[in-house]
Amino acid sequence: MDFKLLPSKWLNKKGGLEIRREDSGEHRAEYQEEHPIYSLQMEMNKLFDDFFRVSEMPAFSRSLALSPFGALQHGAVTPRIDVHETEKELRISAELPGLSEEDIDVSLSRDLLTISGEKKQESEQNVRGWYCMERSFGSFTRSIALPCEVDQDSCKASFKNGVLTVSLSKSPQAQANSRSIPIKRE
Amino acid sequence: MTGAIVERKKEEVSSPQHGEHVRNKRVFVPHSDIYETKDSIFVLADMPGVNEQSIDITLEKNVLTIQGFTTPQEVEGLKMVYCECPAGNYRRVFLLSEEVDRDSIEGTVKNGVLKLVLPKSPKAMARKITVKSE
Repeated sequence: MDFKLLPSKWLNKKGGLEIRREDSGEHRAEYQEEHPIYSLQMEMNKLFDDFFRVSEMPAFSRSLALSPFGALQHGAVTPRIDVHETEKELRISAELPGLSEEDIDVSLSRDLLTISGEKKQESEQNVRGWYCMERSFGSFTRSIALPCEVDQDSCKASFKNGVLTVSLSKSPQAQANSRSIPIKRE
Repeated sequence: MTGAIVERKKEEVSSPQHGEHVRNKRVFVPHSDIYETKDSIFVLADMPGVNEQSIDITLEKNVLTIQGFTTPQEVEGLKMVYCECPAGNYRRVFLLSEEVDRDSIEGTVKNGVLKLVLPKSPKAMARKITVKSE
């Protein structure tokens, strides 16, 4: 059997391309028997899928559509974020240890919140040697696509103990858009 | 592509070495830098959310333990939408060598970073030996 540089699941028995059918379980099993490398191929595909997959919450996902290489561009200093919400408010907190409020820049343009800054290496003069270097330094930018429209003037940010908290109030339209759906009992 | 830059994830303490955890929270290992100057050793540890009151440093024989306790943010009435930084405490254990002067260890916290200064004991200081000619 000659292996071509095509995923084995694209090939039919005669070696031609075929359209994949999701529904036939039998069909798949057949291939699994035929190609010993099939399971390996599946594993590899899964690995790639996981690598390039956009997170389940596209609104906050790290690989934003704005950057072509999404996840690859994030350096080591990119802050981690948490997002909380109420009906009226959206609160985003980011972990930024080692920065002070002067080093951080928060900007909002329509529905894109951008946190940027620079973390500087703070070490004494005349360092003789390093034993452990796990913290990272450099400048970062992280843009967060907000899930709804926010009031542009009501953005408030505070910084305490290395945690930045940004509060945004949702615009009246966005508040009106969300409603709970009653569930009837039949 | 800067393939060498790998984002370090928050590591959780894998197995409690000194007994079981009694707090109902995760425990993370703070990322640390350790470097040496002529007369001190410096330890920097990233512990976002920790202030000077919620930090606990103990020195027992040779074992220096740093613990940081975070207070959860006021989330009353707020709904979690997305989470990358789960709540938890910090803990890391260092083993000190003889060259550290145990009585004058100092710690400061600023912007979520703990800085420990471990001065070297006079015995351990590097000194120059002058060579005389005979």
